[in-house]
Amino acid sequence: MKEWARKITDDEVRERYVSEVVERFKDKIMRVERNASNQWIIEINREDLPEVVGYIINHPEWKETQLSTMVGADERPRRGKFSMIYWISINGESGDIFIGIKTYIPEDDPKFPAVTPVHPGANWYEREVKDLLGLVPEGHPDPRRLVLPDDWPEGVYPLRKDFHYTDSPKRDFTDETKYPYKEPPKGTAVFPLGPYHVALDEPGHFRLYVKGEEIVDVDYRLFYQHRGIEKIGENRLTYDQVNFIAERICGICGTAHALAYAQAIEAAGEIDVPERAEYIRTVMAEIERLHSHLLNLGLACHDVGFDKGFMDAFRLREHVMWLAERLTGNRKTYGMVVIGGVRRDFLEYRRSMIERVIRELKENFQKWVDQTLSTKTFVKRCEGIGILSYKDAKRWSTVGPFARGSGRDLDARRDHPFAAYKYLDFKVPIYKEGDVLARCLVRAEEILESIWIIEQALDEIPGGDILAEWREIPPYREAVGFTEAPRGEDVHYVITGEGNRLYRWRIRASTYNNFPALPDAMRGNTVADAVLIIASMDPCYSCTERVQVVDAKSGKVRVLTEKELTELSRKASRGV
Amino acid sequence: MEGYERITFSFIAVCLILFLPPLLDGIARKIKAKVQLRQGASIFQTYYDIMTFLSMEPVYPTERLSFRLAPYIAFASAVSAALVLPYGKVIPVSFTGDIFVFLYVLAMVSIAYMIGGFSLNNTYTNTGANREMMIMLSIEPVLGVAIGTFALNAHTLRMGAIPFAVTFTVSVLLAYALLAYSVYVEGGFIPFDVAEAEQEILEGTFCEYSGYLLGIFKWALMIKRFALLWLLSSFISIPPIRNVANGTLGGALILITQLIVLFLLYAGIAVIESMNARLRIDHIIRKNAGVFLCSLAVLALAALGW
Repeated sequence: MKEWARKITDDEVRERYVSEVVERFKDKIMRVERNASNQWIIEINREDLPEVVGYIINHPEWKETQLSTMVGADERPRRGKFSMIYWISINGESGDIFIGIKTYIPEDDPKFPAVTPVHPGANWYEREVKDLLGLVPEGHPDPRRLVLPDDWPEGVYPLRKDFHYTDSPKRDFTDETKYPYKEPPKGTAVFPLGPYHVALDEPGHFRLYVKGEEIVDVDYRLFYQHRGIEKIGENRLTYDQVNFIAERICGICGTAHALAYAQAIEAAGEIDVPERAEYIRTVMAEIERLHSHLLNLGLACHDVGFDKGFMDAFRLREHVMWLAERLTGNRKTYGMVVIGGVRRDFLEYRRSMIERVIRELKENFQKWVDQTLSTKTFVKRCEGIGILSYKDAKRWSTVGPFARGSGRDLDARRDHPFAAYKYLDFKVPIYKEGDVLARCLVRAEEILESIWIIEQALDEIPGGDILAEWREIPPYREAVGFTEAPRGEDVHYVITGEGNRLYRWRIRASTYNNFPALPDAMRGNTVADAVLIIASMDPCYSCTERVQVVDAKSGKVRVLTEKELTELSRKASRGV
Repeated sequence: MEGYERITFSFIAVCLILFLPPLLDGIARKIKAKVQLRQGASIFQTYYDIMTFLSMEPVYPTERLSFRLAPYIAFASAVSAALVLPYGKVIPVSFTGDIFVFLYVLAMVSIAYMIGGFSLNNTYTNTGANREMMIMLSIEPVLGVAIGTFALNAHTLRMGAIPFAVTFTVSVLLAYALLAYSVYVEGGFIPFDVAEAEQEILEGTFCEYSGYLLGIFKWALMIKRFALLWLLSSFISIPPIRNVANGTLGGALILITQLIVLFLLYAGIAVIESMNARLRIDHIIRKNAGVFLCSLAVLALAALGW
């Protein structure tokens, strides 16, 4: 189909969706606005939230609808109210559209009816606005704390505009400060996993309620590494600087975040990215996917003690890392994506290098797959383990290989084409079994697809500029930017502000949507499989460079130097 | 001369029992590294590890005596198990009925592991101990039947005498297969290392041990593996050459053959280990139960004199 013809049909499809919502909820709708080519904002009253959001998400005919992100914002300085917006995307090749259901919440009565009872996928989002903005979801089935630490004082909301980013409220830590975990079901023992555990890559605490070795129920506590990046982005940094901190959200899928952020700003500021830059972005995103999937497949082997597969996968990955280093100067955190394009061009002679590396990777990876799948003990451990049904996958709005392993037909690259994906041809592998093996197979096939995408991109890449010039971005525009990170859809939402600064920035990493579904996948399995199931979701982890020692009682903070830390560790290991 | 030979071989035996297992482990690690195309640590690395452990004070998570004693019990049991086996023609400790002692002290190593694990209120150590118990209960009968079949055939209840008297029949050949399987499982090699699975349960009981207690415990488990494999290697290497090996030189020949077979077995196991993933405990129990049923058939064959 010609590019312009496709655009027109796309618009027709989009308008059909929006008009159906408008038809149905005529008098409840206060404003309909199109804020970017594939993004509509529909404003409603807060009382109607569960009905409207539930209607769109649970629409029987719309394919693979899901809650892509939900954002609370403190718009009191501008409008005297808080705002909330639920972004719902429609996927499955049935139209590239994001619908934002927006509502305003008065300052003196910061409450809204929770959407979670209608769509469990809203669970974390609504707890988060409660923690960070003090907007209370009424009727929420699980109103415990999510983001803030246990000793954070009540009534202090860090994302409100009157909370200065340097503020550090006095913690009210007592010996009784404890997180209210679920009561263990009758006759079960608690099997604590983490926050520090050899096989967990990030600090996360799981409580497995077990009978013998069988997992009866699961509870968790996360956000040990909440760094307040959104607050820094809104207060300290300019648009361009935010791009680089966005890349540092994650140690594995940084480019996906940087790209999502840049695309959000480009949508809000109506910046046209040169075609060559789009291709370069695509190649970088795919290189990132290659190394991330190889990492995950390797770890899956490691978690079941199959170290040969682990080492081989990491050896393959190393070549991808070297390739990235040659192209960008870094093994990770490429620093390629900037608003309006990319920072570095691909030099012509590097092309043959990329081609050679991915050709070798293709051959060797095929061998790796054959070897691993012919290891019966490995397959036995993965088959039928950690099953997440399609219904649960949809209910929690899961994304990425985790969702595709359960039969969800969605992929942001195909359904909401960004960068150069609209010009390229590729398959989206889908498995219906929903077990660990299905997720591994999805990743394995995606690696081959990524290689194919890179090959096409190198063939078709046009010449020209790599960076569009932009002067100013109009204030108070809203937009979402989205990418398909290795772990699934990443969504960044921005409200632009004055003085080259963001007004609101909301990051939604793919793991945020996948994580709440984990208990459903773990129930009924054994302790032995717990780590494998967690790894098969591929949780995203982030790294800190330094260690802070916080005395919980006095609240004193001291930063250790590397030398002190080394000495402390040595001392500890000698048992002195 | 008899006395000197006995003393010399017994001395060699004790040295082998105590100091060879870490080397075997180091070689296995090197082989695994090579299979994974890694450089790998030196083959003496396990000695260094144990020396480091032995030089460190442990941290005691509990006051219970059973926690402190468990590593020593394991060590003593493992060494005693190895002592009833033949080294050359000499058996350091031998008396009628020592095949029962062998099975019993071998089980004691597992029991010590369980005592250590259950003396703490920690779900990781408890799970490790629990798994060890299940594996032991499901594999010891198989080992018992295998050895019993040999004893029935050789008409002796002395462990060390069996390989010198065994004759080849159908049931004995099948007993070799059973013996190899139970040695592999009992040794806790991948895919049967669930009781010490690092990624799943932080090495089970070991997650609370540290310092020299951990060193002794790990060493004990290596000696147990040595005892099991020495048993298998003796049963394989002695029967073919027992008639040509005469006198002291013959004893030395047997010992050298035993050692060579032991190294080959260990190397083979290292390769199998690196090509496999760890099974789950329920998989293992099911497998062991099936093997146990087969072993009963073998025992029946042996009783019929086949």
